[in-house]
Amino acid sequence: MTEREILTKKLSSYQFAVADMRLYLDTHPNDSETIKKMNEYTEKMNALKKTYEEKYGPLTKGGTTGSKWKWINSPWPWESEEVD
Amino acid sequence: MFVYEKKLQYPVNIKNPNPKLAKIVMSQLGGADGEIGAALRYLNQRYTMPLPELKATLTDIGVEELSHMEMVGAILYQLTKGMSEKDIKAAGIEDYSVDHTAGIYPQSAAGIPFSAAAIASKGDAITDLHEDLAAEQKARTTYDNILRLCDDPDVKDAIRFLREREVVHYQRFGENLRILTDKLDSKNFYAFNPEFDKKCFKNQMKKK
Repeated sequence: MTEREILTKKLSSYQFAVADMRLYLDTHPNDSETIKKMNEYTEKMNALKKTYEEKYGPLTKGGTTGSKWKWINSPWPWESEEVD
Repeated sequence: MFVYEKKLQYPVNIKNPNPKLAKIVMSQLGGADGEIGAALRYLNQRYTMPLPELKATLTDIGVEELSHMEMVGAILYQLTKGMSEKDIKAAGIEDYSVDHTAGIYPQSAAGIPFSAAAIASKGDAITDLHEDLAAEQKARTTYDNILRLCDDPDVKDAIRFLREREVVHYQRFGENLRILTDKLDSKNFYAFNPEFDKKCFKNQMKKK
Protein backbone atom coordinates (compact mmCIF):
# COMPACT_ATOMS: atom_id res chain seq x y z
CA MET A 1 0.00 0.00 0.00
CA THR A 2 1.12 3.56 -0.69
CA GLU A 3 1.36 6.03 2.18
CA ARG A 4 -1.83 7.69 0.99
CA GLU A 5 -3.67 4.39 0.97
CA ILE A 6 -2.53 3.64 4.52
CA LEU A 7 -3.86 7.00 5.71
CA THR A 8 -7.07 6.49 3.70
CA LYS A 9 -7.63 3.17 5.40
CA LYS A 10 -7.04 4.68 8.84
CA LEU A 11 -9.48 7.50 8.09
CA SER A 12 -11.99 4.97 6.72
CA SER A 13 -11.76 2.97 9.97
CA TYR A 14 -12.75 6.01 12.04
CA GLN A 15 -15.43 7.03 9.57
CA PHE A 16 -16.81 3.53 9.68
CA ALA A 17 -16.93 3.47 13.49
CA VAL A 18 -18.72 6.83 13.51
CA ALA A 19 -21.18 5.83 10.76
CA ASP A 20 -22.02 2.56 12.46
CA MET A 21 -22.61 4.26 15.82
CA ARG A 22 -24.76 6.93 14.19
CA LEU A 23 -26.89 4.27 12.54
CA TYR A 24 -27.19 2.40 15.83
CA LEU A 25 -28.30 5.64 17.52
CA ASP A 26 -31.21 5.98 15.06
CA THR A 27 -32.87 3.10 16.91
CA HIS A 28 -31.26 3.75 20.34
CA PRO A 29 -31.49 7.57 20.61
CA ASN A 30 -31.18 7.58 24.41
CA ASP A 31 -27.93 5.60 24.63
CA SER A 32 -25.73 8.33 26.14
CA GLU A 33 -22.67 6.05 26.38
CA THR A 34 -22.70 5.52 22.61
CA ILE A 35 -23.25 9.25 21.98
CA LYS A 36 -20.16 9.99 24.08
CA LYS A 37 -18.09 7.39 22.26
CA MET A 38 -19.39 8.59 18.89
CA ASN A 39 -18.33 12.16 19.71
CA GLU A 40 -14.84 11.00 20.72
CA TYR A 41 -14.42 9.10 17.46
CA THR A 42 -15.82 12.03 15.46
CA GLU A 43 -13.06 14.27 16.83
CA LYS A 44 -10.39 11.75 15.87
CA MET A 45 -12.00 11.34 12.46
CA ASN A 46 -12.05 15.08 11.81
CA ALA A 47 -8.37 15.42 12.78
CA LEU A 48 -7.41 12.61 10.38
CA LYS A 49 -9.52 14.14 7.62
CA LYS A 50 -7.66 17.41 8.04
CA THR A 51 -4.28 15.66 7.90
CA TYR A 52 -5.37 13.77 4.79
CA GLU A 53 -6.62 16.87 2.98
CA GLU A 54 -3.46 18.83 3.78
CA LYS A 55 -1.32 16.06 2.28
CA TYR A 56 -3.39 14.73 -0.61
CA GLY A 57 -5.95 17.33 -1.57
CA PRO A 58 -9.64 17.88 -0.91
CA LEU A 59 -12.06 15.08 -0.03
CA THR A 60 -15.03 17.37 -0.61
CA LYS A 61 -15.32 20.32 -2.97
CA GLY A 62 -15.40 22.62 0.03
CA GLY A 63 -11.98 21.36 1.09
CA THR A 64 -10.12 23.21 -1.68
CA THR A 65 -7.89 26.01 -0.46
CA GLY A 66 -5.59 28.37 -2.38
CA SER A 67 -6.01 29.72 -5.88
CA LYS A 68 -5.85 26.41 -7.77
CA TRP A 69 -8.90 24.14 -8.17
CA LYS A 70 -7.37 20.93 -6.81
CA TRP A 71 -10.61 18.93 -6.89
CA ILE A 72 -10.06 17.59 -10.41
CA ASN A 73 -6.55 16.31 -9.71
CA SER A 74 -6.81 14.61 -6.32
CA PRO A 75 -7.06 10.80 -6.74
CA TRP A 76 -10.38 9.26 -7.81
CA PRO A 77 -11.61 6.65 -5.35
CA TRP A 78 -12.01 3.82 -7.87
CA GLU A 79 -8.37 4.00 -9.00
CA SER A 80 -5.98 1.78 -7.09
CA GLU A 81 -2.46 3.22 -6.84
CA GLU A 82 -0.98 -0.06 -5.77
CA VAL A 83 -1.67 -1.60 -9.17
CA ASP A 84 -0.47 1.25 -11.42
CA MET B 1 -29.01 17.12 -0.05
CA PHE B 2 -26.03 14.88 -0.57
CA VAL B 3 -22.38 15.84 -0.20
CA TYR B 4 -19.86 13.72 -2.11
CA GLU B 5 -16.66 12.65 -0.42
CA LYS B 6 -13.88 11.59 -2.77
CA LYS B 7 -13.10 8.23 -1.19
CA LEU B 8 -14.64 4.79 -0.91
CA GLN B 9 -16.36 3.64 2.28
CA TYR B 10 -13.96 0.69 2.32
CA PRO B 11 -10.85 0.41 0.09
CA VAL B 12 -10.89 -1.62 -3.13
CA ASN B 13 -7.43 -2.60 -4.42
CA ILE B 14 -7.58 -5.42 -6.96
CA LYS B 15 -4.24 -6.63 -8.31
CA ASN B 16 -5.45 -9.15 -10.91
CA PRO B 17 -8.02 -8.11 -13.52
CA ASN B 18 -10.62 -10.82 -14.14
CA PRO B 19 -13.46 -9.78 -16.50
CA LYS B 20 -15.30 -13.05 -16.03
CA LEU B 21 -15.54 -12.43 -12.29
CA ALA B 22 -16.73 -8.86 -13.01
CA LYS B 23 -19.76 -10.28 -14.82
CA ILE B 24 -20.75 -12.19 -11.66
CA VAL B 25 -20.15 -9.29 -9.24
CA MET B 26 -22.19 -7.04 -11.57
CA SER B 27 -25.40 -8.48 -10.13
CA GLN B 28 -24.75 -6.51 -6.95
CA LEU B 29 -24.66 -3.28 -8.98
CA GLY B 30 -27.73 -3.63 -11.18
CA GLY B 31 -29.34 -6.95 -10.23
CA ALA B 32 -32.63 -7.39 -8.42
CA ASP B 33 -30.96 -7.40 -4.99
CA GLY B 34 -28.13 -5.02 -5.88
CA GLU B 35 -26.96 -1.79 -4.29
CA ILE B 36 -28.73 0.60 -6.69
CA GLY B 37 -32.05 -1.05 -5.91
CA ALA B 38 -31.27 -0.90 -2.19
CA ALA B 39 -30.51 2.83 -2.28
CA LEU B 40 -33.62 3.63 -4.33
CA ARG B 41 -35.85 1.44 -2.17
CA TYR B 42 -34.90 3.09 1.12
CA LEU B 43 -34.51 6.65 -0.10
CA ASN B 44 -38.00 6.54 -1.66
CA GLN B 45 -39.76 4.70 1.15
CA ARG B 46 -38.59 7.12 3.84
CA TYR B 47 -40.83 10.14 3.09
CA THR B 48 -44.06 8.66 4.40
CA MET B 49 -42.63 6.70 7.35
CA PRO B 50 -44.66 7.47 10.49
CA LEU B 51 -41.87 7.60 13.13
CA PRO B 52 -38.61 9.59 13.39
CA GLU B 53 -36.50 6.47 14.07
CA LEU B 54 -37.77 4.96 10.80
CA LYS B 55 -37.14 8.10 8.74
CA ALA B 56 -33.60 8.33 10.17
CA THR B 57 -32.74 4.66 9.61
CA LEU B 58 -34.00 4.65 6.00
CA THR B 59 -32.15 7.88 5.21
CA ASP B 60 -28.85 6.70 6.71
CA ILE B 61 -28.97 3.20 5.25
CA GLY B 62 -30.13 4.57 1.87
CA VAL B 63 -27.15 6.91 1.74
CA GLU B 64 -24.78 4.11 2.78
CA GLU B 65 -26.13 2.00 -0.09
CA LEU B 66 -25.00 4.73 -2.51
CA SER B 67 -21.48 4.28 -1.10
CA HIS B 68 -21.82 0.54 -1.66
CA MET B 69 -22.92 1.16 -5.24
CA GLU B 70 -19.65 3.07 -5.69
CA MET B 71 -17.62 0.25 -4.12
CA VAL B 72 -19.17 -2.36 -6.44
CA GLY B 73 -18.50 0.00 -9.38
CA ALA B 74 -14.86 0.25 -8.29
CA ILE B 75 -14.59 -3.56 -8.11
CA LEU B 76 -16.05 -3.88 -11.64
CA TYR B 77 -13.79 -1.16 -12.99
CA GLN B 78 -10.62 -2.67 -11.52
CA LEU B 79 -11.54 -6.19 -12.65
CA THR B 80 -11.96 -5.04 -16.25
CA LYS B 81 -9.31 -2.31 -16.38
CA GLY B 82 -7.08 -2.49 -19.45
CA MET B 83 -8.72 -5.58 -20.93
CA SER B 84 -8.07 -6.31 -24.61
CA GLU B 85 -10.27 -7.93 -27.30
CA LYS B 86 -8.43 -11.15 -26.50
CA ASP B 87 -9.27 -10.84 -22.78
CA ILE B 88 -12.94 -10.18 -23.62
CA LYS B 89 -13.11 -13.35 -25.74
CA ALA B 90 -11.17 -15.44 -23.21
CA ALA B 91 -13.55 -14.37 -20.43
CA GLY B 92 -16.58 -15.06 -22.63
CA ILE B 93 -18.11 -11.63 -22.06
CA GLU B 94 -18.58 -10.66 -25.73
CA ASP B 95 -22.33 -10.33 -25.11
CA TYR B 96 -21.72 -7.60 -22.52
CA SER B 97 -18.88 -5.95 -24.35
CA VAL B 98 -20.70 -5.56 -27.66
CA ASP B 99 -23.12 -3.16 -25.96
CA HIS B 100 -20.97 -1.53 -23.28
CA THR B 101 -17.31 -2.07 -24.33
CA ALA B 102 -15.49 -1.73 -20.97
CA GLY B 103 -18.04 0.69 -19.51
CA ILE B 104 -19.85 -0.02 -16.25
CA TYR B 105 -23.58 -0.62 -16.83
CA PRO B 106 -26.07 -1.63 -14.11
CA GLN B 107 -27.42 -5.04 -15.00
CA SER B 108 -27.67 -8.49 -13.46
CA ALA B 109 -25.14 -11.25 -14.15
CA ALA B 110 -27.66 -12.70 -16.62
CA GLY B 111 -27.79 -9.41 -18.53
CA ILE B 112 -31.13 -8.02 -17.33
CA PRO B 113 -30.83 -4.22 -17.05
CA PHE B 114 -31.54 -2.65 -13.66
CA SER B 115 -35.27 -2.31 -13.11
CA ALA B 116 -37.20 -0.45 -10.43
CA ALA B 117 -39.68 -3.32 -10.76
CA ALA B 118 -37.35 -5.24 -8.42
CA ILE B 119 -38.02 -2.84 -5.53
CA ALA B 120 -41.13 -1.89 -3.60
CA SER B 121 -42.38 1.27 -1.93
CA LYS B 122 -45.80 0.29 -0.72
CA GLY B 123 -46.71 3.22 1.50
CA ASP B 124 -47.32 0.89 4.44
CA ALA B 125 -44.60 0.99 7.08
CA ILE B 126 -45.06 -2.63 8.20
CA THR B 127 -45.12 -3.92 4.63
CA ASP B 128 -42.11 -1.82 3.63
CA LEU B 129 -40.03 -2.85 6.64
CA HIS B 130 -40.67 -6.51 5.84
CA GLU B 131 -39.56 -5.76 2.27
CA ASP B 132 -36.40 -4.14 3.66
CA LEU B 133 -35.60 -7.06 5.98
CA ALA B 134 -36.03 -9.45 3.04
CA ALA B 135 -33.94 -7.20 0.77
CA GLU B 136 -31.01 -7.22 3.19
CA GLN B 137 -31.16 -11.00 3.42
CA LYS B 138 -31.39 -11.40 -0.35
CA ALA B 139 -28.34 -9.19 -0.81
CA ARG B 140 -26.50 -11.14 1.89
CA THR B 141 -27.32 -14.41 0.10
CA THR B 142 -26.03 -12.98 -3.19
CA TYR B 143 -22.78 -11.89 -1.53
CA ASP B 144 -22.44 -15.38 -0.04
CA ASN B 145 -22.87 -16.79 -3.57
CA ILE B 146 -20.26 -14.39 -4.95
CA LEU B 147 -17.83 -15.49 -2.21
CA ARG B 148 -18.49 -19.12 -3.20
CA LEU B 149 -17.68 -18.40 -6.86
CA CYS B 150 -14.70 -16.12 -6.30
CA ASP B 151 -11.16 -17.01 -5.23
CA ASP B 152 -9.48 -13.62 -5.57
CA PRO B 153 -8.49 -12.41 -2.05
CA ASP B 154 -8.67 -8.71 -3.03
CA VAL B 155 -12.22 -9.04 -4.32
CA LYS B 156 -13.25 -11.23 -1.38
CA ASP B 157 -12.00 -8.63 1.10
CA ALA B 158 -14.29 -5.90 -0.27
CA ILE B 159 -17.22 -8.32 -0.76
CA ARG B 160 -16.93 -9.48 2.86
CA PHE B 161 -17.25 -5.88 4.03
CA LEU B 162 -20.37 -5.37 1.91
CA ARG B 163 -21.84 -8.66 3.12
CA GLU B 164 -21.31 -7.69 6.74
CA ARG B 165 -23.19 -4.41 6.22
CA GLU B 166 -26.23 -6.36 5.01
CA VAL B 167 -26.19 -8.20 8.33
CA VAL B 168 -26.01 -4.95 10.33
CA HIS B 169 -28.76 -3.30 8.27
CA TYR B 170 -30.97 -6.32 8.83
CA GLN B 171 -30.53 -5.81 12.59
CA ARG B 172 -31.43 -2.11 12.37
CA PHE B 173 -34.54 -2.81 10.27
CA GLY B 174 -35.56 -5.46 12.79
CA GLU B 175 -35.35 -2.81 15.52
CA ASN B 176 -37.39 -0.46 13.33
CA LEU B 177 -40.13 -3.04 13.04
CA ARG B 178 -40.13 -3.60 16.81
CA ILE B 179 -40.23 0.16 17.53
CA LEU B 180 -43.19 0.47 15.17
CA THR B 181 -45.19 -2.52 16.38
CA ASP B 182 -44.67 -1.49 20.03
CA LYS B 183 -46.54 1.71 19.22
CA LEU B 184 -49.48 0.03 17.49
CA ASP B 185 -52.86 -0.43 19.08
CA SER B 186 -53.37 -3.98 20.33
CA LYS B 187 -56.64 -4.04 18.41
CA ASN B 188 -54.72 -3.91 15.14
CA PHE B 189 -54.34 -7.70 15.23
CA TYR B 190 -53.67 -8.12 11.55
CA ALA B 191 -51.00 -5.43 11.21
CA PHE B 192 -52.96 -3.12 8.92
CA ASN B 193 -51.31 -0.04 7.43
CA PRO B 194 -50.32 2.30 10.30
CA GLU B 195 -48.88 4.80 7.83
CA PHE B 196 -52.18 5.64 6.14
CA ASP B 197 -54.70 4.62 8.79
CA LYS B 198 -53.41 6.63 11.73
CA LYS B 199 -55.92 5.07 14.07
CA CYS B 200 -53.78 1.92 14.05
CA PHE B 201 -51.51 3.62 16.61
CA LYS B 202 -52.03 3.16 20.35
CA ASN B 203 -54.78 5.28 21.85
CA GLN B 204 -55.88 6.29 18.37
CA MET B 205 -58.53 3.60 17.87
CA LYS B 206 -62.05 4.92 17.74
CA LYS B 207 -63.61 4.46 21.14
CA LYS B 208 -67.13 3.12 21.14
